[in-house]
Amino acid sequence: MMQSFQQDCIDLAMQRFRRGEVDRRTLLAGLAALGVGAMAGGAAQAQAARKLVMVNWGGLANQGFGNFYGAPFVAANAGWTVEQDSTGPSAGRIRSMVESRRVTWDLCDSSASSSFLLGGQNLLTKIDYDVVKKENTLPVGFALEYGAAPYSFSSVLCYDSAKFPQGGPTSWADFYDLQKFPGTRLMRRDALATLDAAQMALGKAPSALYPLDIAATVRKAASLRRNAVFWNSGSESEQFLRTGEAVMGQIWHTRATVLERETNGRIKFIWPQALLQAGIFVIPRGNPGGEGAQRLLASMLANPEPQVGLLTLLGNGPTNPRAAALVPQELRKNNPTDPDNARVQVVLNGEWWGRNYQQANADFIDAVTG
Amino acid sequence: MSDSGRPGLGWWLLILPALLLLLAFYVAPIVQVLAVSVTEPEMGLGNYERIFTSGSVQRVILTTLRICLITTVFALLLGYGIAYAITLASPRMKGWWILAVLVPLWISVLVRAFAWVTLLRRQGLINNTLMESGLISEPLPLVWNEFGIIVGMVHYMVPFAVLPMLSSMREIDPRLLAAARGLGASRGDTFRRVFLPLSMPGVIAAGVLVFIFSLGFYITPAILGGGKTLMVAEWISLQILDLIRWGLGTMMATMLVLAILVTLAVFSRIVDLRRIFGSGA
Repeated sequence: MMQSFQQDCIDLAMQRFRRGEVDRRTLLAGLAALGVGAMAGGAAQAQAARKLVMVNWGGLANQGFGNFYGAPFVAANAGWTVEQDSTGPSAGRIRSMVESRRVTWDLCDSSASSSFLLGGQNLLTKIDYDVVKKENTLPVGFALEYGAAPYSFSSVLCYDSAKFPQGGPTSWADFYDLQKFPGTRLMRRDALATLDAAQMALGKAPSALYPLDIAATVRKAASLRRNAVFWNSGSESEQFLRTGEAVMGQIWHTRATVLERETNGRIKFIWPQALLQAGIFVIPRGNPGGEGAQRLLASMLANPEPQVGLLTLLGNGPTNPRAAALVPQELRKNNPTDPDNARVQVVLNGEWWGRNYQQANADFIDAVTG
Repeated sequence: MSDSGRPGLGWWLLILPALLLLLAFYVAPIVQVLAVSVTEPEMGLGNYERIFTSGSVQRVILTTLRICLITTVFALLLGYGIAYAITLASPRMKGWWILAVLVPLWISVLVRAFAWVTLLRRQGLINNTLMESGLISEPLPLVWNEFGIIVGMVHYMVPFAVLPMLSSMREIDPRLLAAARGLGASRGDTFRRVFLPLSMPGVIAAGVLVFIFSLGFYITPAILGGGKTLMVAEWISLQILDLIRWGLGTMMATMLVLAILVTLAVFSRIVDLRRIFGSGA
């Protein structure tokens, strides 16, 4: 099964922890920020307390989200606990839970496209923007009708500079130009963000990218099929570039950052035209914690410091407008929501993808495999 | 057994619990899953129609058949040589030979696939050696394509080809070969006209076994195929888990089961299938 961005973050953090690049404290703090929170609720508290269940994608996130997202909320709201569940809140699971009317989740680490998909089927609770403050996140694409984003990530163009001594690619048009930049390409075996890049390569202006032309972009992507390899998990994407199997690829900025650091800059990535995506949290309809989930989400968006903690640990970009200034200088160039980086990226249109993901992804996969 | 030589009622009652268990927990769920292929997304044969209309479905079927046939041919050729050598070896050497055939069977298929990646990739052992010796200037595309998949699969399948052929070669009476030589046949003639025909049942049995086994291969093609060259098993998992097209996935699963049953039915008329699968010897 395709690995989600969230699962890959946790893999990456665990890897750095094992190599001793981050200490246990930072690790736990980072996981907490990912919503893998307050395990130390304790039974005594739980009796009187009102409990919220935050659902993440497992592993390290189970501890990290709790420290960065759960703990600040618990500290400010006596009598509440935030529990982490690492089941992995896929759209399918949320759907079956709400449809069976046995909802045990309050706040789920989902995506923009899933929020539109599920929201459209009346399976989510609308975000109450009297409680959640819109000004605590980015203006476009990060505060949606059915979800809001406490973190961000990006799909960037990453390339091996040793293969291009005359200068590397600077746009998706270059990515698709096998004459000028020969060599194997690397793409995620998933239409999301891949077709957006293909649309830019077809010459559509990044500022007016949507709606995408599914047929044309799928054809464009399939034109690289003979010269491409495809990744399913973040570690795979890293391996393909590190070992020289591919000369350039579209991968998550977290993995690109690791590659750039560990190859001493031989492998580079660029922000222009990268697809900036919101780490959207959603509230399933009929969640047990009720309105508390809105307040927890509000707290996650309102606290910039833990968001920076998450950037330090896992590379997820903060979304609170005050956070960028708190980011240490050396991390700024790897922060997707740093103003300098955000300006040149394209915000992925979650609404369009929510309506078209299933069809576009099926067409894309049919075209590139077999 | 009863006097007539057929199993009596008592015997049937004895295996009844096992039979019911199989029906309830194995056959019924499989039928249920396969039934999805005619009920989703709507009732009817729409999913089966796609065999004739969808380029992707046709591509994956052709790729799978092509890879399986090539794998079977190479596994049989290599396996025949090995089985022949074992048959003619001294008893002590035989033991070593058989050990050498069996050892790879005990190594995880995952480990072997990744070992091939290390050997075959652009900066792998083979490409590096060829580049440094000046034979090639650009790395050869040895993996992330059909070639890589076939290499990995042949490697996996050779032992499965050797064993049935070995058992049938062992049954060939060596005196027949001596007689042929005594009657003036050359070494080549003896092999071609005596040994080869007598070993054919083993070859066919091995071929059926390897071909059927290859059809459902999952891990090796998934790792060596680079995410784009898909065989049918990986394609089914993609439909079920990622694309949520259960109808299409189960349609292909039904076709896979049918293909295997048809292959078995055809070849059961030619060879004794019970011998392939190790019973009734």
